[in-house]
Amino acid sequence: MNALRVAAVFRRIVAQFRRDPRSLALLFIAPVAIIALLGWVLSSQGTATTRIAVVNESNNLTGAAVATRIQTALDGQPGIAIDRTVADDSAARQALKDKTLDVVIVLPPGFGTQDRTIDLMTLGLNPTGEASALPAIQKALLGAVANTAGAVLPTLERTTVYGSPNATQLDTLAPVVVGFFAYFFVFILTGISFLRERIGGTLERLLATPVSRAEIVLGYSLGFGFFATIQVAIVLAFVLGRFDIPALGPIPAFAIGLGVRTIGNPLIAYLLVLVLGLGAVSLGIFLSTFARTELQILQFIPIVIVPQGLLGGFFWPIDQLPSLLQPVARILPVTYAIDGLRQVMIAGADLSSPQVLLDMGVLVAIAAIFVTLAAATIRREVA
Amino acid sequence: MTATPMPTAPSPAIEAVALRKDFGEIHAVDGIDMSLSPGRIYGLLGPNGSGKTTLIRLLTGLASATSGSVKVLGVAMPSRSNLARIGYMTQSDGIYPELSVWENLSFFATLYGQTDKAKLHATLELVELDTRAGTPAQDLSGGMRRRLSMACALAHHPSVIFLDEPTVGVDPALRVQFWDHFHRLAADGATLLVSSHVMDEADRCDELLFIRDGHVLAQGTPAELRTRAGTQNLETAFLSFATQPRAGSAASATPGQPKESHR
Repeated sequence: MNALRVAAVFRRIVAQFRRDPRSLALLFIAPVAIIALLGWVLSSQGTATTRIAVVNESNNLTGAAVATRIQTALDGQPGIAIDRTVADDSAARQALKDKTLDVVIVLPPGFGTQDRTIDLMTLGLNPTGEASALPAIQKALLGAVANTAGAVLPTLERTTVYGSPNATQLDTLAPVVVGFFAYFFVFILTGISFLRERIGGTLERLLATPVSRAEIVLGYSLGFGFFATIQVAIVLAFVLGRFDIPALGPIPAFAIGLGVRTIGNPLIAYLLVLVLGLGAVSLGIFLSTFARTELQILQFIPIVIVPQGLLGGFFWPIDQLPSLLQPVARILPVTYAIDGLRQVMIAGADLSSPQVLLDMGVLVAIAAIFVTLAAATIRREVA
Repeated sequence: MTATPMPTAPSPAIEAVALRKDFGEIHAVDGIDMSLSPGRIYGLLGPNGSGKTTLIRLLTGLASATSGSVKVLGVAMPSRSNLARIGYMTQSDGIYPELSVWENLSFFATLYGQTDKAKLHATLELVELDTRAGTPAQDLSGGMRRRLSMACALAHHPSVIFLDEPTVGVDPALRVQFWDHFHRLAADGATLLVSSHVMDEADRCDELLFIRDGHVLAQGTPAELRTRAGTQNLETAFLSFATQPRAGSAASATPGQPKESHR
């Protein structure tokens, strides 16, 4: 290992990217723009009014009484508007299709003192979005129905161990997005850079010098680690910081940064992302062996990046995945980075936490495997 | 350019014994023996696909031989440390388009262990790119890129230099400069192996190796090869060697020329 040669490879990568403003923009501006967009979308969620109609198909007094109670109970709720013009089931279905209603509460024909089944009907095109108003409705329904039976409904309060029960989806999502972006961009950029070495004839030239494969991989890791460090610093600053700009003339007041609440140590979060990124550098070098064009590097996105986004615990906890997919999720590096980042950023864990140490250890092991694979493919005959 | 006797010189600069390289069914290098003396320019001549590049890659240790052995400057290849004494100008330019002339040169020179800036400047002057040091390689003309590629192979003053089709796409005036430079390097003691498929460059070499289908058809000075083939035209000479049956190559078709294949 010759430090001079490693430094030469490192400096070369930095010099190459300095000359390539578009790639720099991709590295530094794109993640901030995407996270800003994500923050915007998530923070405005739930502000739309849910339009509800109550339809009584039961033709009996109990039904009519319950229907009125439900309407009264829901009417005062924030974000809910009651439509009293819809009279029957078919009109309600049409209104849902016409998008003039969001939810219809149906008291079916058999509704009475014995059968207390109530239908909640939505359009079904966007189950997740439609479901967002359901908890509030269910609570009102329970209250209305329970009162008719004379029972008292217990009051539900929600507390959480970490963070606050009011934590938005953004608060829990933003920290892990940081890691995912670093992984994605480092993989794509290294893959393409190394592919260009292979097809541009410079790898052949490199291998004709006394430089070793370990020196090449290390130089690459330092180079991309350098850019990943800057990227993570910028993205973390954007996610955690918040800088309010007051209104000025025609420009309304706005804020730069998301101001996500965290009790974690950003330095440990950075360490996790860095180890994840080192694995991505070597994965990029390794997979560039199997690509002949830059387009073919992009073809690895649905194979390598998207499954990690879906299975890595981003949206669904690993334990809730189908049992066949759980072992798959457990070999993905992003899974461990996301878990570690959540532990650190939301639960405030530090390096004394065995969970964080395990995540870190697995990430180091995965990086080591890919470093070995990458080094092994570098000598592969280019011919 | 007198005919030198066989490689009886004490230590050949480049030596290959029964060298073979198979790609599946294809014998890219099909049993080559060679022994090249220091301080001379050897021309490796043959049509496209005759195995020239594969042979050079074997000699530099970039490809691993199926069988046989290679020694460069007395050291068995592949040897990473020995690469510091070898220069290799690849067929493609093999330079970084975003980097400047100076950055390309100093990058490769550093990998070779040459960090003396004065020597790098001298190399740039040699290829007449000293006024272009700050220009990104992608803004250079094709001939300038070729010169930069050559500078990257020579900046560390190697003793053995492989040049794979160095003059392809180079205009005649520059080609003359290239060859003048090659002769200066040889005069300083370097051994050069220059591959080409252009016969009119052959006369500039001290010695020629005609290669086809992965084996050496004939080796000798241009004058010797002409005499043996009985023609003044090297192209005709090549074809006459190519049509001789290969099995007889050990005995050598032309008497008095043991240089061919001595195994």
